[in-house]
Amino acid sequence: MSISTPSEPKNPSVVKVSGKPAAKPGAKPGTKTGTKTGTKAQVPTKGKGGGPRKPVTPVKVGGGRNWGPIALFTIVGVIAVGIIGYAAWPSFKPGGTAYSWQDRAAAIDGIVNFRDNGTKLVAEHDWAPQKYEQNPPIGGKHSPVWQQCMGNIYDAPIPNEHAVHSLEHGAAWLAYRSDLPASEVETLKSKINGKQFTMMSPVEGLDSKVSMQAWGYQLKVNDVNDGRIATFIEALAKNASLEPEAGCTTGNTATGTTPLTEQQAQQRFGGQG
Amino acid sequence: MTTPEPRRFTLFSTTGLSITMVLGLVLGLVLTLVVGLSSGILGLRGSTPGDTSAEAGFARDMSLHHAQAVAMGMIAYDRGTTVTVRTIGGDIAVTQQGQIGIMSQWLRDWGLNINSSAQPMAWMPDGQGALEDGLMPGMATPDEMAALENARGPEVDRLFIKMMIKHHLGGIHMVDGVLKQSGDEDVLWLANSMKAGQQKEIRDLQAAEKSIP
Repeated sequence: MSISTPSEPKNPSVVKVSGKPAAKPGAKPGTKTGTKTGTKAQVPTKGKGGGPRKPVTPVKVGGGRNWGPIALFTIVGVIAVGIIGYAAWPSFKPGGTAYSWQDRAAAIDGIVNFRDNGTKLVAEHDWAPQKYEQNPPIGGKHSPVWQQCMGNIYDAPIPNEHAVHSLEHGAAWLAYRSDLPASEVETLKSKINGKQFTMMSPVEGLDSKVSMQAWGYQLKVNDVNDGRIATFIEALAKNASLEPEAGCTTGNTATGTTPLTEQQAQQRFGGQG
Repeated sequence: MTTPEPRRFTLFSTTGLSITMVLGLVLGLVLTLVVGLSSGILGLRGSTPGDTSAEAGFARDMSLHHAQAVAMGMIAYDRGTTVTVRTIGGDIAVTQQGQIGIMSQWLRDWGLNINSSAQPMAWMPDGQGALEDGLMPGMATPDEMAALENARGPEVDRLFIKMMIKHHLGGIHMVDGVLKQSGDEDVLWLANSMKAGQQKEIRDLQAAEKSIP
């Protein structure tokens, strides 16, 4: 198709068969409608015959570039890129699903990554009570028994030595300052209750209202409605596990401030009881 | 005849074919290639299930559903009074933990987060209606789990059998949900295997129920 100038009526086209310039534009009748063909100034194309062409100004040596197809393909290209971009944006936006969990964790404002800051976190088992550098702890030696982390709500402090073992298994542990009002504790419960690979418990003398822990990660927030609590869980629960195949089932469900002794554990997990 | 006229754009004039058309075609081809390759490399929708697909929802939710069955099975294996209950408890725990591993690997292969902020069962058309107290079909409440954990003697066997039959029935309902929606070969394979296995185990559990002291 073509667009002819309004000032000039359409003429039958000329089908050129050689490299010769069309000496008499519009002189020969053709079968196709089209614009008038080239002028004296136009350099003929070689080989196959050029189609109808209308006269152009003599200065336009070379016939000029035909911008039609270029414009068309550019527009199609821009639209295609736009469609792909629109579809991919939810995944590829910062913190989107296409990022690794580490990238999503790093995007959380205020999170501390102890894995990257040189903190040495050993993972050996030990029945003895431990002293941890961080409060609440985010890793280190821990009891052979883990704290059950199937979305458990513990209404009293839990032993750090069991909680750290849960972190090793991929738990995101929500610790809250033990003097929070009941209404705020309820808000926190709704984020944890029944959500596997999470658990929550009060901690005495915490330096923020809420502290989120995963193995090697910590985030302290002072508002129970802070959206980063859920973001932390989504990025780090299960993902931060040192043992991706391990679970949160079974384990200790008792509260307390000292870990189960080997004898206590023997009684609790001693086989056919 | 020689009056200079403003040149107008023409689309696909045959004169322009040799240069502009070829340029355009090449541009189009390159563009197609780039889009196709990047989609493949980046794993955009098409080849593997996406973040909100039924397959991803099934893999996530069924993993959580399974984890509770593992907990029940471990208790039965540990404290069941009959050898039938102890063996089937261990069998279910090991089987379902293995299946959790397969489903977790799918999500890794598909480049998806193992977690999602979606509601449980959001991937099933009638999923929200199937929730019981916010729990997926067949799931035990925290109180029921506590009762099983604290039970001793034949009560362990009785509670385990009752809870696991209900758990399996709910699980089969979810399996049917993904069987209806998915065309993914691996997903269909595991889902069908789960369904057959759990249907058989329900019959075994019903038989075992009769032999509890």
